[in-house]
Amino acid sequence: MSGDPRGRHQPPGNGAPDGAGQGAGAGGDTPLLDQAFDGDSLYALRAAVAAHAARAGLPQDRADDLVVAAHELAANSVLHGPGHGRLRLWQHERALLCEVSDDGVPSAAGDGPGGGRGYNDHARWHSERGHGLWLVRQVADQASLHSGPGGTIARVSFTLPPPR
Amino acid sequence: MVAVDAGTQVTDLMVRDHACLTYGEPEELFDLTAAFARDGLASGLKVVWLSDDAPGRAVSELTRRGVTVEAAIAAGQLSAAPCEGQLLSGQAFSAEQALGWLNGELSACRAEGFPGLRVAVDMGWALRPVTGVEQLPDFEEGIAAAMAGTTMSVLCQYDRERFDPVTLASVAAFHTRSVAAATYYADAVLRICRQYAPPGIRLAGEIDYHAEEPLALALAEAIRLDGDITINMSGLSFIDAPCTRMIADAARSLAASRRVVLHCHPAIADQFALFGVADVPGLILVTADER
Repeated sequence: MSGDPRGRHQPPGNGAPDGAGQGAGAGGDTPLLDQAFDGDSLYALRAAVAAHAARAGLPQDRADDLVVAAHELAANSVLHGPGHGRLRLWQHERALLCEVSDDGVPSAAGDGPGGGRGYNDHARWHSERGHGLWLVRQVADQASLHSGPGGTIARVSFTLPPPR
Repeated sequence: MVAVDAGTQVTDLMVRDHACLTYGEPEELFDLTAAFARDGLASGLKVVWLSDDAPGRAVSELTRRGVTVEAAIAAGQLSAAPCEGQLLSGQAFSAEQALGWLNGELSACRAEGFPGLRVAVDMGWALRPVTGVEQLPDFEEGIAAAMAGTTMSVLCQYDRERFDPVTLASVAAFHTRSVAAATYYADAVLRICRQYAPPGIRLAGEIDYHAEEPLALALAEAIRLDGDITINMSGLSFIDAPCTRMIADAARSLAASRRVVLHCHPAIADQFALFGVADVPGLILVTADER
């Protein structure tokens, strides 16, 4: 479950988003998966991520971890963001990258669709032990989260094993 | 759906009950049967199980669930047998022959000096091409009639996914009670129910924050059970952070006063370990075999 320090690189277009949902996920690499989600479609989203992770060659235990990370990021958009979002999965060199984006942030704590418990607050990304985004950091080789007025973009990277 | 089934609990069955058990998966069948057998043996009764699986499987499933099988078999207090040869002969069923078998068991039980008899019968044979299967309701009616004046109870077992509703309805009237696992949540993706042997709760499928409410209810009821508690997640393939945290917190607080066993696949065991359950005294994380 521990992070793998290899495979360090930045996903394409990794900057502070001025309009989440724009620009990322591509950078010349064709997405393996590009799927919109809301709270009622997380099961289907997990199944799609699992299928593509296995097909891209991620070992079973790491594929399980990717599904966990993808789910928690998506659930974060559902519960603490606008209630829906978009997930993209693509391969860049020897890593599988997964990006979850949404187009809005809760207006204020306690005010968002899911109660707005402040998960988009960068300062808490590291510290909320036992919560979804904390778990994402535990299982991903790399993880980043950017929030702005235009929304949130979260990315995780999972290193693929060397080709046989 | 958040509800506890209105049906009788298998642990509440009494003498002369002719109970209709419906189950949705083998885990549930084996769990409820193990509780039925365990309670019968503990009361000194003779227990007979006609299983649709090989008797060896039936015995190992009971053993796995904490029933003291070997001593009971050695003492003639427990037997597991296939339906063929008892209810069926050469894939042919007759209600008369089957009732003859049951009366023979009752006589043998009396002769052996046991104070009563518990019989569990898996009706799965009736789903196969068996001649005389139309006599199934006659058999059930005959069981109900044979109950009078005895110290017997019978648990008839029906797979509710595979038996058609018409058949289930046609036999239901002959039973004194219907029995099923208490279910806190069930849909196409997830099932949360009570586990009876060993006591606790069982989760199967995939669970996320949508099911936090029934999970909390199930955990709260598990806390009210006596003794050690098992949280059986061997049929669970996904669990999210909020549900992992809820189970880990409940297990941690319970482990202060009794043993708590978490049963799950390796990937989910790793996730629970991340949530800090690995080093809690009294809390045992059992990694299930891939089955």
